[in-house]
Amino acid sequence: MIAQGAQVLTPNRRVSSRALVLLAATQVALALWLWGSASAGVLPRPGEVARAVGALWADAGLGSALLTSIGTSLEALAITAAAGLLISYSTVLPFFRPVVAAVTTGRFLGLVGLTFGFTLLFSGGHALRVSLLVFGMTVFFVTSMVAEIRALPARAFDHARTVRMGEWRVVLEVVVLGTADRALELLRQNAAVGWTLLTMVEGLTRAEGGAGAMLLDRNKHLRLDEVMAIQLCVLAVGFLQDRALGALRRLVCPHADLRVEGGRTS
Amino acid sequence: MNAVNAVNAVNAERKDVLLRAERVSLDLGGHRILRDVSLEIRNLVCPGKITGQVVGLLGPSGMGKTQLLRILAGLAAPTEGSVRLTPAQVPVRPGLVGVVTQDCALFEHRTVLGNLCVAGRQAGRSAASARAEARALLGRFGLRGQEALYPAQLSGGQRQRVAIAQQLMCSEHYLLMDEPFSGLDPLAQSEVCRVITEVASAHELNTIVVITHDIRAAIEVADELWLLGRDRDEAGRPIEGARIQATYDLVSRGLAWHPDLAHAPELAPLVEEVRGRFAQL
Repeated sequence: MIAQGAQVLTPNRRVSSRALVLLAATQVALALWLWGSASAGVLPRPGEVARAVGALWADAGLGSALLTSIGTSLEALAITAAAGLLISYSTVLPFFRPVVAAVTTGRFLGLVGLTFGFTLLFSGGHALRVSLLVFGMTVFFVTSMVAEIRALPARAFDHARTVRMGEWRVVLEVVVLGTADRALELLRQNAAVGWTLLTMVEGLTRAEGGAGAMLLDRNKHLRLDEVMAIQLCVLAVGFLQDRALGALRRLVCPHADLRVEGGRTS
Repeated sequence: MNAVNAVNAVNAERKDVLLRAERVSLDLGGHRILRDVSLEIRNLVCPGKITGQVVGLLGPSGMGKTQLLRILAGLAAPTEGSVRLTPAQVPVRPGLVGVVTQDCALFEHRTVLGNLCVAGRQAGRSAASARAEARALLGRFGLRGQEALYPAQLSGGQRQRVAIAQQLMCSEHYLLMDEPFSGLDPLAQSEVCRVITEVASAHELNTIVVITHDIRAAIEVADELWLLGRDRDEAGRPIEGARIQATYDLVSRGLAWHPDLAHAPELAPLVEEVRGRFAQL
């Protein structure tokens, strides 16, 4: 037991997945105990939050609000994937490189400042939400994808040429198919960013509903148990979305995880 | 050398030119890397034996061996000079000459079979024909049963054989190999030598150029050695731009296709001679 305890505190040590689950369960239990015992009078206790989840689900339409948020998030993610990949892949053509550079520079713009312009450009709350999310995700997604494409070694392109591929086919094989696993991984990371932004963006147009609108509403009335309940549900949905995208990546690119196996740990 | 090989060596003759590089020079970043490199590979004909041609290109690090490989493969254009594949005198272009790089590049997102099939399709075969040819090649290289694996799941030796097989799906007779013995233990090195010999002896016109630092391994597989290096001025300073400094015909020395090369009395003096030249390049 002591030896096993020492192992989990040894740097770069690989442990079994069973041991990891046990560690996680222990740490969650510890966190709940700390929350329950140390938050008296400041934060609602776990039981109160659990009861608030039930009440919000049954009476306030939390499920429907979460579905609205999921729908908005998936729509924005689909547009981000299509637009982001198209912009990123266009970097192989010198003509589009300034455009791509301009898009990546967009990540230094403040989202709040953009809201005014986007409000004028897009009619309707839903379009405003989606466009803000798409912008927020695309600029980071394109930046990371372009870095991936630039990091492709020249020998990978040469290799494709040695098997008689023309330049467009080289792009398809090396740039598009060759980076598909990393593109899906980056999309997954940006989906998490988008999900974090979503509750803020939903606050801009509350009439459209969604978990963010509900959260701000409960926050305004200082219903801390309900605020924490919504936050926990948002966290759970975000986590599930992340797992689903990870599963999609493993399904579409089964070779992806083979490359990182046996990494630095022993 | 046994009697059969002795006869073969005596009767072997270098006939038509298969690959010719004429006065190839390369400048990169304001420096001359290659200078007036002229070389040719001739069809080595040996009665009663399919030999193919294997050339060992030797030279110290930083001499431009890999740059010369890229030029011979049509992947880079020389600053001056030309490379032609004869007898049709076709200027070399990517895809005509197979290349197996040191890292044995493969498409990581494709399975072993997929890697070979895509090359076969690029060479103009139908899907069914490419698949059949790929399976036949994998069988020949001892890779049957590995078709569904991804490159990341292969050992170094398997990966190298798949990379060779992929190039053979496309380039009909020419194969350039960059440092195929690098980092291999003696057993794995022998296996690579066996594969190279097998590929060379599969067709009379098969022509393999092996770029390596390993003098002994090069002698083991090659029938001819080229030594790439720089000239020196009167003060002994190296002059920019490497060229072929020496060639060694291993057939006439009785070292090509030797059944017991390790014990051949001609081996050690040649290794020493080449090593001595290395120091001067």
